[in-house]
Amino acid sequence: MSEPVIKAVRVNKCYGNVRAVKNLSFSVPESICFGLLGPNGAGKSTMMRMIYGASDRDCEPAGEISVFGFDPQIEPLAIKFLSGVVPQENNLDEELNVEQNLYVFCRFYNIPRPEARHRIDELLHFMELSDKHSARIRELSGGMKRRLIIARALLNKPKLLILDEPTTGLDPQVRHLIWDKLRGLKRQGMTILLTTHYMEEAFHICDNLIIMNKGEKRLEGNPQELVKKHIEPFVLEINTPEAYSRIKPSLQQNTRIDKNGGTVKVFSSDQLFLQKAVSRLNPGEYFLRQSNLEDLFLKITGSSLNAVQ
Amino acid sequence: MRSSKQQLYPPFTKRISGVWYRHYRVYTKSLISNGLPPFLEPLIFLAGIGLGMSRYISEMSGIPYVTFLATGLPITAAMFTSAFECSYGTFIRLEFDKVYDGMLSAPLGVNDLLIGEIIWAGTKGLFFSFAVILVVAAFGLVPLWSLSAPVIGFLTGVMFAAISLLITSFVTNINHFNFYFTGFLSPMFFFSGVIFPIENLPPVLRVAAEFFPLTHSVRPARALILGDFSAVIFYDLSAVALFTVLTGWPAIGRLRKRIIK
Repeated sequence: MSEPVIKAVRVNKCYGNVRAVKNLSFSVPESICFGLLGPNGAGKSTMMRMIYGASDRDCEPAGEISVFGFDPQIEPLAIKFLSGVVPQENNLDEELNVEQNLYVFCRFYNIPRPEARHRIDELLHFMELSDKHSARIRELSGGMKRRLIIARALLNKPKLLILDEPTTGLDPQVRHLIWDKLRGLKRQGMTILLTTHYMEEAFHICDNLIIMNKGEKRLEGNPQELVKKHIEPFVLEINTPEAYSRIKPSLQQNTRIDKNGGTVKVFSSDQLFLQKAVSRLNPGEYFLRQSNLEDLFLKITGSSLNAVQ
Repeated sequence: MRSSKQQLYPPFTKRISGVWYRHYRVYTKSLISNGLPPFLEPLIFLAGIGLGMSRYISEMSGIPYVTFLATGLPITAAMFTSAFECSYGTFIRLEFDKVYDGMLSAPLGVNDLLIGEIIWAGTKGLFFSFAVILVVAAFGLVPLWSLSAPVIGFLTGVMFAAISLLITSFVTNINHFNFYFTGFLSPMFFFSGVIFPIENLPPVLRVAAEFFPLTHSVRPARALILGDFSAVIFYDLSAVALFTVLTGWPAIGRLRKRIIK
C-alpha cells in the first residue's frame, strides 16, 4: 500500500490554557475524501491549519504531521504548492476583481501568463462563474465567493484539496453544486480533506471521517458503517412532553430515550414496535424516521442530555 | 533536507515578485487617483513657497530656499507613502481584509509576505520621490541629473517600511497609528534637515537629529542632487541599512507570531 497523503500522529495544540487539539492521530490515504466533524470549537480548523503550516503544533509533547512526506513546520511551501486550501473565512482580495484574484495566485504559483489565462477560464467555467470574470468581489453572493475560493485553490492542479467548512452558510443549490464538484474531483484522483458540521455533507461525500469533540477524536470510520454500528437504525421523534408521557408506559426496555429540550427521541432497532407506539399519537406530534449521522453525532458529542428513564 | 535543486515551489525571488505584483496590481487599478497626487503635491508646495515664503527667506545653506526644499521634499514624500503603506495599509491587510490569510494558502511564507511588502513600499518611495524631482526639475530648480536621486527614495521607502512594520507589530487598535505619525514622523519632518539644516539646531537637538532615520536619507539625497559629495554619504547609507535591519528583523519575527497562530 502506498504512503498516506496525510499522516498525523499524537498532535497537540494549546492556546494558553485551552487545549484545542488533544493527542489527535489519523491518516488519509490517497484519492479519498476524509472528513473532520465536530461542533464549533472542537479543534477541526486548528487541525486543518496545522496541516498546511498556518498554525504551529505544540512541540511538547512532540507530535508528528507529515503531508506528502513533508513536515508542515519545516516545508510548508512544498505542501502548499501541492495542495489547494479553502480557508474557513472568505479571504478574497476585495481590492481586485474575480479574474485578478485568480491571476495574482497564478503568480504565487509561478504559472506563466498564457497558461494562467487558460486555467482561469477553465476553472471559472468549472465553478460556473464564467459570467463573473470581471466582477468585483463585493458584487458576488456568498455562494459565488465560496466557489471562487475553491477555483483559486484548484489553480495549481493540487493533489490534495483542503476545505475548511466549504459550504457553511450557503443555500442548498450551491451546497449540492459544491458536493457534486468535489465528488468529480475525487473521481479524478484528488485527495480531499474537509471539515464540516453538516452531517449530511459528511454523509454525502466523505469516504472516511472522524468525529471530534473538545479537541479529541471520538469515533473514526466510514459514515454509513458508523451509523450502522453505533446507533439504532430507527428513531421516533416526539415533539411535546405531553405526548411522550401518554405513550411512555408502552415503551419497552430495548429502546433508548434521548431527551433534549421539549423533543424526545426514542431510538430502537425495532421498526414495527415504533410504528405500533405511534398509533396512540396524533399526526404532527411525532416523526418516525431512519436514524442518521446527525443522531450519531449528537450521541457522541453529547450535545443533548442523555437520560434513560 | 531535500536538495534545493529539486525544490518544488517557486524560488524566493519569484515569491517576492508575486507579492510585489499583488500590491502593484492593487495600486495601479486606480491609476488616476493613486498616480496623480504625487505630482500635484510638489506643485502645490512650490506654489506656496515660491509665491509666499521665499519673499521672506531667500537663501538657506548658501542655495536658494526653494532649491533647498526641493532637495528634501522627495525624501519626505517617500517616507510618508511608505509609512502609510506599512502602518495603516499593513494593519488593514492583516486584521480587516484578511489578505495575508488568503496569501498564506498559496506557497508563500511570512517572510515572503513581509519582505515583498517592504520592497513594494520601497518602490512607492522611488515613485513618489521621482514624481517630486520630476516636477522640481521641470521648473529648473534642480539639475536634470537629480533624476537619479529616487534611488535614495527607494532606500528611504524600504527603511520606513521596516520601521512602520515594527510599529504595526505592536499596534492592536488602528487609531494608535496617530501617535506614530504625530509623535514620530511629523517631528522628523521638521528636525531632519528638510526645512532647515540641522547644523542650526541647538547642540542637544543637533545630536538627536543624528538618531532620526530621516536625517540619513535626506543628506545623501541632497548631496546627489547638488552634486556635492563627501564621505558622510557612506556613513548615512550605513545608518539607513542599520535602521532597516534593526527594525525589519524584529518586525518580521513579531508579525509572524500574529499571522501564524
